[in-house]
Amino acid sequence: MSALWYAILAFMLTTYVVLDGRNFGAGILHWIVARTPLERRQVIAAIGPLWTWHEVWLLGTGGVMMMAFPRFMALVFSGYYLALFLVLWCILLRGMSLELGGHIDDPLWQTFWDVIFTVSNALLGILFGAAFGNVVRGVPLADDGSFYLTFFTNFRVTGHVGLLDWYTVAVALFAVVVLTAHGATYLTMRTEGPVHDRSRSLAWRLWLATIPLFFVISALTWLVRPEVLTGLPQRPFAWLNSLIAVAGGVALAVGLRGGREQLALRGSTLLIYGVIMTGAAALFPVMLYSTLPSAQPLNAVALAAPDHSLRIAIAWWLPAMLLSLGYVYLIGRHYSGKVPVDKDNQTIY
Amino acid sequence: MNNALSDPALWHRIQFAFTITYHYLFPQLTMGLAWFLVYWKWKALKTGDEKFNQAARFWAKIFGLNFAVGVVTGIPMEFQFGTNWAGFSKYAGGVVGQTLAMEGMFAFFLESAFIGALIWGEKRLGPRLHFWAAVGVATGSWLSGVFILVTNSFMQHPVGYTVLADGTLAFDDLWAYLLNPWAFVQFAHNQCAALVTGSFVIAAVGAFYTLRGVHREQARLFLNAGTLVGLIASMLVAFPTGDQQAKFVGRHQPATLAAMEGRFQGGRLADLAVIGQPNVAQRRLENPIQLPGVLSFLAYGTFESYVRGLDEFPQEDWPDNIELLYYSFHIMITLGTAFIGLMGLACLQRWRGRLQSTTPLLWMIMLAFPFPYIANTLGWMTAELGRQPWLVYGLFRTSEGASKVVGSGDVIFTIIGFCGLYFVLGVLFLFLVGREIKHGPEHA
Repeated sequence: MSALWYAILAFMLTTYVVLDGRNFGAGILHWIVARTPLERRQVIAAIGPLWTWHEVWLLGTGGVMMMAFPRFMALVFSGYYLALFLVLWCILLRGMSLELGGHIDDPLWQTFWDVIFTVSNALLGILFGAAFGNVVRGVPLADDGSFYLTFFTNFRVTGHVGLLDWYTVAVALFAVVVLTAHGATYLTMRTEGPVHDRSRSLAWRLWLATIPLFFVISALTWLVRPEVLTGLPQRPFAWLNSLIAVAGGVALAVGLRGGREQLALRGSTLLIYGVIMTGAAALFPVMLYSTLPSAQPLNAVALAAPDHSLRIAIAWWLPAMLLSLGYVYLIGRHYSGKVPVDKDNQTIY
Repeated sequence: MNNALSDPALWHRIQFAFTITYHYLFPQLTMGLAWFLVYWKWKALKTGDEKFNQAARFWAKIFGLNFAVGVVTGIPMEFQFGTNWAGFSKYAGGVVGQTLAMEGMFAFFLESAFIGALIWGEKRLGPRLHFWAAVGVATGSWLSGVFILVTNSFMQHPVGYTVLADGTLAFDDLWAYLLNPWAFVQFAHNQCAALVTGSFVIAAVGAFYTLRGVHREQARLFLNAGTLVGLIASMLVAFPTGDQQAKFVGRHQPATLAAMEGRFQGGRLADLAVIGQPNVAQRRLENPIQLPGVLSFLAYGTFESYVRGLDEFPQEDWPDNIELLYYSFHIMITLGTAFIGLMGLACLQRWRGRLQSTTPLLWMIMLAFPFPYIANTLGWMTAELGRQPWLVYGLFRTSEGASKVVGSGDVIFTIIGFCGLYFVLGVLFLFLVGREIKHGPEHA
């Protein structure tokens, strides 16, 4: 049962990353693809009124984590205290810039919020990237199984590590490039005019840049935590997810080359999905590695809620998920199609 | 630094209290306004009268701003279970995690799918689907209330649980947990109170426009809807929901009831304190004006009933801030009574056809809107201070719930961060809502 909930938690977190990741990416590119105030409104309108639905996956993930792995939540959230509040404040600022920016039709007001939007999205991309790096690297678990991390220590990956070290910074930068490429792919599909053309050429170049970076990150992961990669061949789920990633990569390349923009976005979504889920499958059953030689890694069974609670939850989780997809289908089809450069973007978003 | 101030648990409590109090200023208006929006959208659909659409559009804008602040201040609440209350998450996560996860999956996914479309998508969706978007958001916001109140009810009155070998909690009976009788009463009391906030705000804007002599048609609509719902909801808050809530406290948290009333000695024919200040050191109520026997009657049904005093409980089980608890409870009751009076007067004048011309009453209605916020906050302070020193009543103490690894300094740092951000957020919110109100409903 804890394995199933580990998979559900990974699925929900990854869905959050692919959905909100395109908003992070679009936000980071905000000043690059959109050069005039009107074009910047176009980018915001392309992100669209469903951005709250994207962000809610993070809240849903948090709730499910509290339900299924309360010990993991207690340990990790208090251990990463300051970093998490930085994430929360960035999310707060990003939400404000999306919601408040359109309220006043004034260039200074909107420029101010556009800057906040870009900065908070870039920071969120870096922080979430660093978080993934941290999960792979592990934390300095004390004998009682607790830890408390500072932002950085000596930038080494063993011993008393901090949130940032050479490995987690590398993963963070890689994540920013991937999310930016994802955002550019999204904007290509959802916009027309100059923003579309700039996004399209950027998407192509950014995705090309991720290829060598991917091999670099894999090599670094090999150095930091070889057991993640050596364990891969015995894990069928990792194979399955790698196949998804490869299929996504092919779809992305075909879509970008042939101007089939919807296909490209689906491809990039599947690619990111497959890569993260492969990572999650490779880590399982460990949820938290230790960087100190004395401590044992903590695994999913030890961190999970009682089996009875997990069985109850599966009964309502599935219908809830289906309902949720139903609502978004109902609303989402009214917001498909291209967003033009238009004064009206003030009100349609 | 003296001992109490260097105790991290105190700072964890202050941060949670501050962020939840600030957060809840917004959802109470969301839940209060939501059904007004649904009603006006429905009237517009049925009658085709444009004034209902105007009203709905105007309030949807304020609703949207309010909702956005509610969302961004709500996200830290969920995270703080892990960051600040790791002990509690570990201890009770197997039980309360269930409803917190349900809130995300059922309520938040529903609200967030429809909110953008409700505020901005009237043209795209068409009137019928737009009406359903309003229903979706209203249902989602109330569902969220259900799950949070079931969770809180477990902390007030734990049922349906069992204690595992490692000392943590698990389910014994899920349905007993979900159908906690405490939750029904608390939900009814809380949602009526949210309607009081919503209706007072709507009536206040109506009174403001009437006093200025602008937007007359909309002003009348707001005043009529606001005062009528305001009267009904204010009465329901007091009776039966508030009355029942107090009876539950009397039955299941007798030490809390004694502290709420500043009652140190037990006895029959217990007096209800109308005025007075508790003196905890001397263990008595100073300068009291009391109604003899009324507390016995209200809490247990007869004037003869025995009401226990704080002296009958060990001092370590007393709520740890009796003065604040006492004042919160009494000011809440005073305000609640005043709300019934004000809205009763307004409805009487409306029935006589004179509401629009009774200037002093309009001034009072206009200036009354902050008070339901205060009463709601005080109600929650009564519930949460009254639960102390327990995090889960009778089972788990608050001091055990705080994150052990997080020191005071880090919490003080994040409290200061929240103060700064929330100050800016509050200024922006008031500025933008003020702008919408000045703009008026007819130019939407």
